[in-house]
Amino acid sequence: MTTSLTLTSGRRPDGRAQLAVTGEIDMSNIDTFARALDDVVGHLVVDLTEVGYLDSAGLSVLFARADRLELVISPLLEPVLTISGLTDLTTVHTTSPPEAPTGR
Amino acid sequence: MAGPEDAGRERPVATGHRVFSADPEVGGDLAAVDWAATPLGPPEEWPQSLRTAVSILLSSRFPMWMAWGPDLTFFCNAAYRRDTLGQKYPRALGRPAREVWAEIWDDIGPRIDTVLATGEATWDEALRLFLQRSGYPEESYHTFSYSPLWDDAGAVVGMLCVVSEDTERVIGERRMATLRDLGSDPSVIRTEQEVMAFAARQLGRNPYDLPFTLTYLFGDDGSARLAGSSGVRLPHPVAPAVIAADATDPVWPVRALARGEAVPVSLEEAGVPDPPAGGWPEPPARALAVPLLRQGDTPHGFLVVGLNRYRLLDDGYRGFVELTAGHLAAGLASARSYRAQQRRAEELAELDRAKTTFFSNISHEFRTPLTLIMGPVEELRSRLAESDPRVREELEAIHRNGLRLGKLVNTLLDFSRIEAGRMRARYEPTDLAAFTAELAGVFRSAIDRAGLALRVDCDPVDEPVFIDRGMWEKVMLNLLGNALKFTFEGTIGVTVRREGGRAVVVVADTGIGVPREEVPRLFERFHRIENARSRSNEGSGIGLALVQELVGLHGGTITAESTEGEGTRFTIALPFGHAHLPADSVAPESADGKVSIAADPYVQEALRWLPADTSTGTATPVGPGQGAGVRAAGSAPDPRASCPTARARVLVADDNADMREYLTRILTGAGYEVATVTDGRQALDAIRRESRETRDREPFDLVVSDVMMPVLDGLRLVAEVRADPRTASVPVLLLSARAGQEASIEGLEAGADDYLVKPFAAAELLARARATIEMARLRSRQAHWRAALVDSLQEAFFVCDEQGAVVEINTAFTEILGYGPENLPYAPTHPWWPDAETDPEGHRRVGEAFEQLMGNPRGSYTIPLRHRDGHRLWVTATFARARDPETGNGVTVGTFRDVTAEHHAIQRETALAALSTGLAGAAGLHEALPAALGELRTLWSARRVLAAVFDDGDAPSLTDTDGEQWRELSVDQRRTLIDLRDQPPLTPVTHGTGIGILLEHPEGPLALWIELGERRPFTAEDQVLLSLLAGRLAQGLSRIHQIDQQRRTAIALQRAILGPSHLPDGFAVRYEPAGRPLEVGGDWYDTIALPDGRIGIVVGDCVGRGLEAATVMGQLRSACRALLLQDAGPAQTLMALDRFAAGIPGATCTTVFCGVLTPETGRLVYSSAGHPPGILARADGTTGLLDEGRSAPLAVRPGAERPEAECLVPARATLLLYTDGLVERRRRPLTTGIDQAGEAVQEGRDVAVDDLATRLMERLAPTGGYDDDVALLLYRHPAPLEMTFPAESSQLAPVRKALRSWLDQCELPPGTTQSVLVAAGEACANAIEHGHRDAPGKIVRLRAEAFVDDLRLTIADTGHWKTPQPELNTHRGRGVTLMRALMQQVTITPGPSGTTVDMHLRIA
Repeated sequence: MTTSLTLTSGRRPDGRAQLAVTGEIDMSNIDTFARALDDVVGHLVVDLTEVGYLDSAGLSVLFARADRLELVISPLLEPVLTISGLTDLTTVHTTSPPEAPTGR
Repeated sequence: MAGPEDAGRERPVATGHRVFSADPEVGGDLAAVDWAATPLGPPEEWPQSLRTAVSILLSSRFPMWMAWGPDLTFFCNAAYRRDTLGQKYPRALGRPAREVWAEIWDDIGPRIDTVLATGEATWDEALRLFLQRSGYPEESYHTFSYSPLWDDAGAVVGMLCVVSEDTERVIGERRMATLRDLGSDPSVIRTEQEVMAFAARQLGRNPYDLPFTLTYLFGDDGSARLAGSSGVRLPHPVAPAVIAADATDPVWPVRALARGEAVPVSLEEAGVPDPPAGGWPEPPARALAVPLLRQGDTPHGFLVVGLNRYRLLDDGYRGFVELTAGHLAAGLASARSYRAQQRRAEELAELDRAKTTFFSNISHEFRTPLTLIMGPVEELRSRLAESDPRVREELEAIHRNGLRLGKLVNTLLDFSRIEAGRMRARYEPTDLAAFTAELAGVFRSAIDRAGLALRVDCDPVDEPVFIDRGMWEKVMLNLLGNALKFTFEGTIGVTVRREGGRAVVVVADTGIGVPREEVPRLFERFHRIENARSRSNEGSGIGLALVQELVGLHGGTITAESTEGEGTRFTIALPFGHAHLPADSVAPESADGKVSIAADPYVQEALRWLPADTSTGTATPVGPGQGAGVRAAGSAPDPRASCPTARARVLVADDNADMREYLTRILTGAGYEVATVTDGRQALDAIRRESRETRDREPFDLVVSDVMMPVLDGLRLVAEVRADPRTASVPVLLLSARAGQEASIEGLEAGADDYLVKPFAAAELLARARATIEMARLRSRQAHWRAALVDSLQEAFFVCDEQGAVVEINTAFTEILGYGPENLPYAPTHPWWPDAETDPEGHRRVGEAFEQLMGNPRGSYTIPLRHRDGHRLWVTATFARARDPETGNGVTVGTFRDVTAEHHAIQRETALAALSTGLAGAAGLHEALPAALGELRTLWSARRVLAAVFDDGDAPSLTDTDGEQWRELSVDQRRTLIDLRDQPPLTPVTHGTGIGILLEHPEGPLALWIELGERRPFTAEDQVLLSLLAGRLAQGLSRIHQIDQQRRTAIALQRAILGPSHLPDGFAVRYEPAGRPLEVGGDWYDTIALPDGRIGIVVGDCVGRGLEAATVMGQLRSACRALLLQDAGPAQTLMALDRFAAGIPGATCTTVFCGVLTPETGRLVYSSAGHPPGILARADGTTGLLDEGRSAPLAVRPGAERPEAECLVPARATLLLYTDGLVERRRRPLTTGIDQAGEAVQEGRDVAVDDLATRLMERLAPTGGYDDDVALLLYRHPAPLEMTFPAESSQLAPVRKALRSWLDQCELPPGTTQSVLVAAGEACANAIEHGHRDAPGKIVRLRAEAFVDDLRLTIADTGHWKTPQPELNTHRGRGVTLMRALMQQVTITPGPSGTTVDMHLRIA
């Protein structure tokens, strides 16, 4: 069984390429995740606001492509990105939390 | 599916159809079944109803099996496989149920048919089934319910069985009952045979665990003799009556058993045909022979038990047999010790009989010589009637005393005759009034002479009374003699009347009477009333006892009434006729109705008591040759008027022979008895000698002495005589040639009574002599009385002067202490004080007492003294200060009463009582011994008491009042204790400054040593006492040991009865029986995993104690369990239980808390039947009570609706349910106990629940242990999360899901939840990587537990931890960094079999 993950490619209102991710990212699905990132050439905004879980396996995928990624996350993921040092390598936008995400 | 949200239980299945996925293991095996070959077809085609049923079955942790379809195809779950199926698994899966359970189909088939036919569920409790699951038919018990299963169309197509196995409980109860029965009557000590018979009866009542038993006892020659059996009809080859010690190839291995080894025996190999089968269809195949162990000796014998072939000989079974043997051994030991005591008692009784026989024989032996004395004396009396009066007097004395001795001997003989039933009576019809009056008349002269009146008032009674005249004489003469003895003025009355159809004889006097408390003891043999004023101190104390016996022989009664100072009245009532008398003793009236010669001694004796009767005194005049220079003078035959009323004795002291002769002639001529001496010294010697020999009267009535004499002159003689208290009152008349006032004043000042100047006329001398004697008699009358009284005291009497010297003593003093008046005065320190050297303590006590005596006006104390012969005795001294009326000096008079026997008896009783109390207060052997040693130390004021138990250890285990260990003792001390081992038991051994004794301790011989510390006598009495105490101690220790053992067994068995064997996570339970007396009871707890994942919680308390309550408890528990499983709510369950309890004796008034918990949410629905409220300790430190949903205890109001309440157990809160034993204490409100329990739970919020349970039981226990049994149940919400999953990355998401859901139950903030998820996720990912690398498919375990302010996670795998190597695998290294950053503490422990990661997070 693989962890559920939905990947939706698209464009942001400003025209930049965007990958919206919903679900959880762990060891079991990083390959899918990595392929989706690699499908887009060049700069990419990755919207992780609907990701409830991200561990070091997911981080490693992001680290490998840090120079061309821009991340949008919910406050839930902030500690992990900060601790790992990813926030120093790439631009990370944190959505202001009007209410805490449920994580589900 | 059973529960996609129930992530904690989700177990992915490697292969197979999804219908089996709820359980990977059994599911896997079910998937492997060739279903196409069964009537059910392949699982894909199964109807939804079947799939659902199988899912429920597999996801339940409660043992279940089901049957479906025409063949009743068999399914079961993991719990059933584990508990019941045994070797039948997995073969049973998919087979027809009839095949699977072929061996019990006769039992269960009809039940299944009923379910299928009626659609109604069945219920069976503890049904015995013989299962063939372990390679042999196995006795097992099951409580189960068959309920119907419906297909999609609503038709019954199968059945579901929910079952719990009760085998351990049922067998445990059965064994416990046997052990309790065996110990049911421990207070009655029996003979060995009775012990065996009782045990056989009890063992025979359990023919299941004990199909047959044989008890053999070893004889002295080592052979074994059959002493008891159960379950076997004798004779039987299995039970030879005797097995010789050297028997070749014996049925039972006697030699190994004699060595104390337990031996299992195959009955087939032993060649025993047809062993008895007991309660089973097939006989035992094996037997177990266990020794009946005896402390420090070869076994008493052994017990053979035929073993239940339907059970394995496991530890429980073996332990049961050994405990049974232990019971038998203890019973035997106690019977044997009783027998030994019995034998000692019989020896004592035999001694007593021998003593009686001896006395009776010796009385007989006396009679012959007495007769030979009395005959010639009678002869001489008549022949010498006219001869020398002195000879006659001596003869009279011999005669009187002969009569008295004869009377005493006859009385003793009468007693032994009466006791032996050999009293020959001859009852003849008698005119009682006349005969009694005649007997009274015999005493008239004596009574007259005593100055008393005799009033005889004997009206003729119109009917003769049958009496033995000889006996009646003795009755009357004894009573009259008694009256005379104790009456000093007034009357003695004798009356005979007819009253109420009986002849009543009353003998009444106006004497001194007896104190009220003495009246009941008047007729006791040898009982004498102390210090009574009487005419004589003679008497043996058996007269009244004999009177009572004699009256009894006449069928009559005698009673006494007495008022002190007023008199005593004896009333005899005799029946008329002779119907009450033995026919062969009744005779016609004899011609001779006169009083027999037997009256003579009584009257003679009585006459002697009378004070005027001095002429018949036993003292004889000073005869020739008696004393140097003393010469007797003859007495005149015709007494003249000038002699005082009674013949007086005069000592004449003069150096002039002519004067002596002259004086002698004048005095003897006047009727005096005269003795002469030639100087003052001789006079003094004669006076002193006489004073010793004539204790009860003056040595001489008068001393006539010349003033001028050689050696010692008259004046100094007077001074010496006056100085000695024994002679001070002897009157002295001085004669002197010196005339004039001065000389006479000098004489009188010296203390002379009168003074006569020579020459003097004979008449003047006689007048002066007579006047002086009469004056002296008058003056010394009080002194005489006093002397007589003092000497008649049974107690030792003494007088001390102001310096403490003892100046006067009486006869009893000499008897008690051995010191006579000849060495008076005794100056302090008195020779009877205990020796300061050898008995400093005794010496000190007497010294203190002496100070008290000298310093206080009056007092009393008990002290040890030393008899002249060295033996020690205890006396109670009473003293009072007085003033000597003559000298005016202060004196102290006192008495000693010998209380040695009482003292030792009291000391013994006190000591034994103290020891018993000490032992009774001890909770076990470890407490008993120190307590006993403390008592012993106090008792002997010992410096130290040691006890070494020579158990099997390297060194003896030492108990010491000083608290030292064995290795700390000196070599000498160890040697002393070790040497004691070789002594015979219970025999005191003195050594140096201590005393030791060996006794039996349950763990081996015990050497007891009492260190007295200083030199002091350890008397024979002390030794007896020590033996007694040591014996009592040994008995007490053995009893405590037995109780200890019973306690351990009882707890083990009760715990086996109590369930549940598998406790859901998050729960902890405890049960503790009442401490003292040890009793299991009716308290219980239970948790029931309901099929839908909820958990039933029950805590209950049946009224009463003991096995009966435990049985009621078992039934209620099973019923409650079944009701909850049928999906009843708590209130509904309790209402159904009301009806159930009403039908069980003893179940009424049981209190129950019943709740159903939803573990995911913490929702608890509950109802309480009169049970104390549950306590909820919340994480925020507040405490609440579950005090709603309350109603009456069970079966009190059957049919009444019960309320139900609901509460939410918040995250990390702890719930405590309990029975009242935990909180109820005497004289304390229940709420106090509940508050205390609440506080204790609050304080334990951060402790794991199981540890908290232990802590609560300890903390709330009263000193001395719980006095009621206690059940306790704890739940902390949420329960710890435990998961195991294969090391595959696909597992990460479901694991995370389960963990997230659990964390939500813990009500943590989202950020914290996320941190924990990531940290745990990293640890799991790491574990999976190792699993993949080393061996795919390995298992990973995750455990999470929440405490009030702490969260703890453990992830363990079976691989090797990967050291972070960021350059090779960047994200793994990051994982560890993340874990450490997110959690407070991370510990990674690599091990050979796997790696464990522990993580903590503070969450408060």
